[in-house]
Amino acid sequence: MCRNKIQNIRISNVGRKAGKKPVIERIPFQCIVPPHMLKEIAKRGDPKQRELALKHLMISERIRGRREAFGEFYVATSSGAKCLNVFDAKNGQELPGVQVQDPANSTDEAVKEAFGGADATYDMYHDVFERTSIDDKGMCINSTVHYEEKYDNAFWDGRQMVYGDGDGKLFNRFTISIDVIGHELTHGVTEHEAGLAYSDQSGALNESMSDVFGSLVKQRALNQTAAGADWLIGEGLLTSNVNGKALRSMKEPGTAYDDPVLGKDPQPAHMRDYQKLSLSEDNGGVHINSGIPNRAFCITAMEIGGYSWEKAGKIWYITLRDRLRSRSNFQDAANKTYQVAGVMYGSGSKEQLAVKKGWSTVGITVKTK
Amino acid sequence: MRIRLERTGGFAGMRREVALDTETLPSDEARKLQEMVNAAGFFNLPEKFPLPERGADYFVYRLAIEAEGKKHTVEISEPAATPELRSLFQTLMKLGK
Repeated sequence: MCRNKIQNIRISNVGRKAGKKPVIERIPFQCIVPPHMLKEIAKRGDPKQRELALKHLMISERIRGRREAFGEFYVATSSGAKCLNVFDAKNGQELPGVQVQDPANSTDEAVKEAFGGADATYDMYHDVFERTSIDDKGMCINSTVHYEEKYDNAFWDGRQMVYGDGDGKLFNRFTISIDVIGHELTHGVTEHEAGLAYSDQSGALNESMSDVFGSLVKQRALNQTAAGADWLIGEGLLTSNVNGKALRSMKEPGTAYDDPVLGKDPQPAHMRDYQKLSLSEDNGGVHINSGIPNRAFCITAMEIGGYSWEKAGKIWYITLRDRLRSRSNFQDAANKTYQVAGVMYGSGSKEQLAVKKGWSTVGITVKTK
Repeated sequence: MRIRLERTGGFAGMRREVALDTETLPSDEARKLQEMVNAAGFFNLPEKFPLPERGADYFVYRLAIEAEGKKHTVEISEPAATPELRSLFQTLMKLGK
């Protein structure tokens, strides 16, 4: 009999490697309901059964992925505690900086936003995708604000998220837009899962994953459906001096800004406009060509309808977690999201056809074999 | 000293360029820049640095400097740069605004 509280089961290989003996129990493989049965339930059961079957299907996909990776597997219980920290670099370069006490109630807007955004992102990953923090093992999420002086950027340094204040002339503070926070945290998730190499097409796919889940954090926080969402990345980040509504548009890549100082949004919306750039140009255009898979996701979500995180988001998440590898490209992402949609919602289902349409609109034909 | 700095990448993914000739700058600013270039050991840096193994959304720089018959170009991403080189990038970006 499978355990009901499946969300409390965590697989730990690290502890075992380190020679520790945490609370670990082994569970037999046959405890998992066979995927073909789950698929049937997911297709034909009543709404409650379908939801439960989909949940279990997600978990079993995960266990299969890990089993392939490690040969055998152990299951450990997680502490489950949410750990979110905010630090203040006080306009210096030292990371993480000075820890801020009670960041949720800070009078410093950047601190409050960094905390609130990390909290909303943690909750989406936990409640929707059953993932516990960046590493799925409950690691603390650390964010630093006020990095350097008038710093026009936000980044993931491989361990934590870092936000600049912006110069105030062109850019506002980088915590102002909640999708920026979801974007940075997702870079951590991607590093722990597919590990998409941060250059050329795999890098653009890495960027797109961050935009996708960043936008989903925003949509969920605002309770927006796919049709009601603006699909903008970094809305509010550009000051009123700039002619632009955001940094990127997932719905209409290339239309977010057109300004005498900043130039025009360079994102392509179709493979025919893919920009082959050298590595010294944005690692081969990772923030540019991401417009293509961004739009594929947006169209998929709009085709499916309803809340984007519920179906399109799950298809993308399972693909990121279990199917993509470091050198995966757009074509791989198209094929794998199509396969995952077939596993989750049925071959030829509305959801699977939506995925196909999403990719074909940007010039990528999914390969079914 | 002729300097050209290109910055790409970052979360915004915007391309920014600064090109200047220190001959056209006030002498104290020109001297300060010369000192920063020396402090960063610019002419002894490799032309290319490997991409960082971790991290995302960092800036990517290409800096070309021509001085006293020497010309050198360095391509480097922000995490790989020394504090001295980063200070030089920051100062140049400010001069370009």
